[in-house]
Amino acid sequence: MAEPPIATPPARRRVVFGEAEVSDYDELDGLPTESMPLQMGPSHPAMHGTVRITLDVEGEKIKTADIQIGYLHRCFEKESESATWTQIFPYTDRLNYVSPMLNNVGYALAVEKLLGIGDRIPERAQYIRVIVGEISRITDHLTCLGASAMELAAFTVYFYLIKAREWLWELLEEVSGARLTHSYVRIGGVVADLPEGWPAKLLAVLAKVRVAVADADQLLTRNKIFRDRMDGIGIIRQDEVAAWGLTGPVARSTGVAYDVRKDHPYLVYDRLDFDVPVGATGDNFDRYAVRLEEIMQSMRILEQALAKLPPGPILVDDPRLTLPAKRETYNTIEAMIAHFKLIMDGIHVPPGEVYSYTEGGNGELGFYLVSNGTGQPWKCRVRPPCFANLAVLNRVLPGLFIADVVPTFGMINMIGGECDR
Amino acid sequence: MTVDSSQRMELVTVVIDGRTYQFPKGMNLLEACQSVGVRIPFFCYHPGLSSPAVCRQCLVEIKGSPKPVPSCYTPVADKMEVTTDSPKVLDIRRQMLEFTLLNHPIDCPICDKAGECLLQRHYFDWDGKLARNEGSKVRKAKVVDLGKHIVLDQERCILCTRCIRVCNEVAKAPELTMAYRGSHEVLTTAPGHRLDNPYSLNTVDVCPVGALTSKDFRFSRRVWELLAVSSICPGCATGCSIEVHSSRGTIRRLVPRENPAVNRHWMCDEGRFEHKAVHTSRALLAAMGGKRARFEDALAEAARRLRAAVAADRGAVGVLFSYEASNEDTHALARLAGEILGIERRYGGGKAAGWSDEILVSADKNPNTRGVEGIAGGPLRGLDELRADVASGALQALLVLGNSTLALPEGKPATLVALTSHQGPLVDRATVSLPLATWAEVDGTFTNRQGHVQRIRTAVKAPGEVAPGWRLIDRLAGALGGAFGFASAEAVFAEAKGRYPFMKDAAWGPPLAPVHLRFGESRG
Repeated sequence: MAEPPIATPPARRRVVFGEAEVSDYDELDGLPTESMPLQMGPSHPAMHGTVRITLDVEGEKIKTADIQIGYLHRCFEKESESATWTQIFPYTDRLNYVSPMLNNVGYALAVEKLLGIGDRIPERAQYIRVIVGEISRITDHLTCLGASAMELAAFTVYFYLIKAREWLWELLEEVSGARLTHSYVRIGGVVADLPEGWPAKLLAVLAKVRVAVADADQLLTRNKIFRDRMDGIGIIRQDEVAAWGLTGPVARSTGVAYDVRKDHPYLVYDRLDFDVPVGATGDNFDRYAVRLEEIMQSMRILEQALAKLPPGPILVDDPRLTLPAKRETYNTIEAMIAHFKLIMDGIHVPPGEVYSYTEGGNGELGFYLVSNGTGQPWKCRVRPPCFANLAVLNRVLPGLFIADVVPTFGMINMIGGECDR
Repeated sequence: MTVDSSQRMELVTVVIDGRTYQFPKGMNLLEACQSVGVRIPFFCYHPGLSSPAVCRQCLVEIKGSPKPVPSCYTPVADKMEVTTDSPKVLDIRRQMLEFTLLNHPIDCPICDKAGECLLQRHYFDWDGKLARNEGSKVRKAKVVDLGKHIVLDQERCILCTRCIRVCNEVAKAPELTMAYRGSHEVLTTAPGHRLDNPYSLNTVDVCPVGALTSKDFRFSRRVWELLAVSSICPGCATGCSIEVHSSRGTIRRLVPRENPAVNRHWMCDEGRFEHKAVHTSRALLAAMGGKRARFEDALAEAARRLRAAVAADRGAVGVLFSYEASNEDTHALARLAGEILGIERRYGGGKAAGWSDEILVSADKNPNTRGVEGIAGGPLRGLDELRADVASGALQALLVLGNSTLALPEGKPATLVALTSHQGPLVDRATVSLPLATWAEVDGTFTNRQGHVQRIRTAVKAPGEVAPGWRLIDRLAGALGGAFGFASAEAVFAEAKGRYPFMKDAAWGPPLAPVHLRFGESRG
């Protein structure tokens, strides 16, 4: 693929007050100015309270950008070493907190890979995982698009999309009992079956989401104000994708059609028909467009998964992995012991290490786990997709205007909980 | 069986699960498997007891044998081919566990053993199948008062007979037996008899389930809340290796730790309660004349009084060693008495002698008599001599380490400086008293009656102003103008090791963090 065209900034001269002649001033750069540090964030509304970017600016132009993360560091990985394998699910909810189900699923798949029980997960549980995961992907993208639109003054769009997100979260609340921190997935399946009549509700909500997304599309996609802030801004070249480890919509916006669901299918994604949208120039608009289309593709997946959803159990039938039914626990010593050991000691995961990866909202969400054979991980490491995606801003921002930071940062969609862990 | 002794013995070649090993002839097959990391579950086998092969958990297949054999009961033989994980063996284990669980009560939430229970562990590791029967369970007595320290729950008992063998083989007191048959079989004592031998609490340790529980420990803590620290029992000169189990700064129980050279797997009942004193009637603050004083003032006053007494009549100043103090504290005191004060009157005191037996209990109830005498350079003057010297006026000033129960008449000797751990006559009477740490709050070494120098380790944090003896003595030496500059108990140990012949082979050992009895460290 040919390298996309990049607007090369015109040659400029460094101008320092008091040292330069007036004739040195560069007409293109505007007024003479001197280099000035500027802190964006962490208490900046567009930095989402979780990141600081130390800019070195000359006038409105960015010379260097230093991305400083860690404001939301919670020692997730270290904490995991003193929790049982199951107790880590609530922690994963708080990684990418706008798509917790995807984190739940990614973590469960990693532990199941280490346990070697991947082929024993009931089919219904796999479909349910796909369904709740894709709903989460939609809520992730709705949040990203809505918030970015709001940051560019399109407040109406924000409400359209966040309203749609709320409908979906209400559905997930019905499934899991929690609006945001679902902790719904378990090692070996999911904790509860879908409620009665839930699939029909989901289809009804999807119809409403389609309308909301179409409204946003109409309001933004051909809106000159919006396009001026997005087109050709924050260009990432295709060859940078591998060099920076970019994944997800950021990578796909450059034309790299890497999607874990397609390239390394897990769960039942190989039985579902969906497309991987890609961009051409790798600018902010492409990232916006890729996300918009991924929402549509996720809805396609949801409709197929609902149609194919088989009946059956939702958890592996093995008292060493999953809690026995309460009736059994209270009435038989076997189930009581299993319950006790699972709660107090945790699932016994055989010694070994594993890297397992899934397509998160922002790209490849990887879990690297090491077990020493006890009920706790010896090491739990996350590959947060937006950590790598955010790093590239360091390269992308210089040369842009201060005002470009907001849409560029927004379209990277850094989520503090996931990036800082 | 250690590697050293096996090399001198005749070796046999055994194939276990397809891999070939060599073991000394006559070694127990179960221990042979364990020594090479092949896991076999068991209930009735215990490394310190004979094997009756009643639980049928450790069955393995041996080529040429028509039926599976209990590995705990089978010596290894040359060219033996053993299979420990064939489907048949695994099935037998599962079926035996199913029988064992058939009448087991659903007690885990209220059972003291839950969390360190062999039945839980073996079920989880080797069975993992839900119940198939729906019949009711055989009911038995839930609370049987077996003896002074022990309560029996007959429903939980899995009839392994370990406790019976502990009484017969360790305590030499056949007090327990099985009665009735089949599902109605129970553990019991003979009518009118009690389980009251001095080693009865070992039955609680060996009980694989929660059938036998200690009256002292039961319902006080869940075991997974405990932190375990390796130490030495301070109850007598035997110096049994123990584990101190504590939670939230309080010691909850002492259990024996395997030490082939001293106590094997056991300890006496009296030793189990040595931790009670650690948390009772402690002297927590410095005092002068029995009244609370600032620590610095008390220290300065002690130094002033001792200096004046030495200046007045060096021969009338004495020092009282404690046979309960560690080698480190004793070494520091010996240096203070010899190098700083230059006093010759050396007394030794400790707990009074008591009963003894041929098993573990020593008549000498002090943990470090041999070490103190080794450091002080021979037997010390006794407490009777001390009292006589006080009464006659030959002793005008006395520096005491430990010996909290020592009672001396008012006004004699004129100066009494006490470094002591507990409230009592000594603190009430002392001119100056400084709070001393107990064995459970310090790092150090005890020398047992055999001469083994053994490590004690800090199990709980010292309360109040309490400090280890060597540190108090170093501060006192500093106030007298000649601090030793001891940085740690290990530094005192290293210095003592270089001075006293009996310590020359002693080792401080590696630092050990307290072990949380949960997850991989669970004893179940």
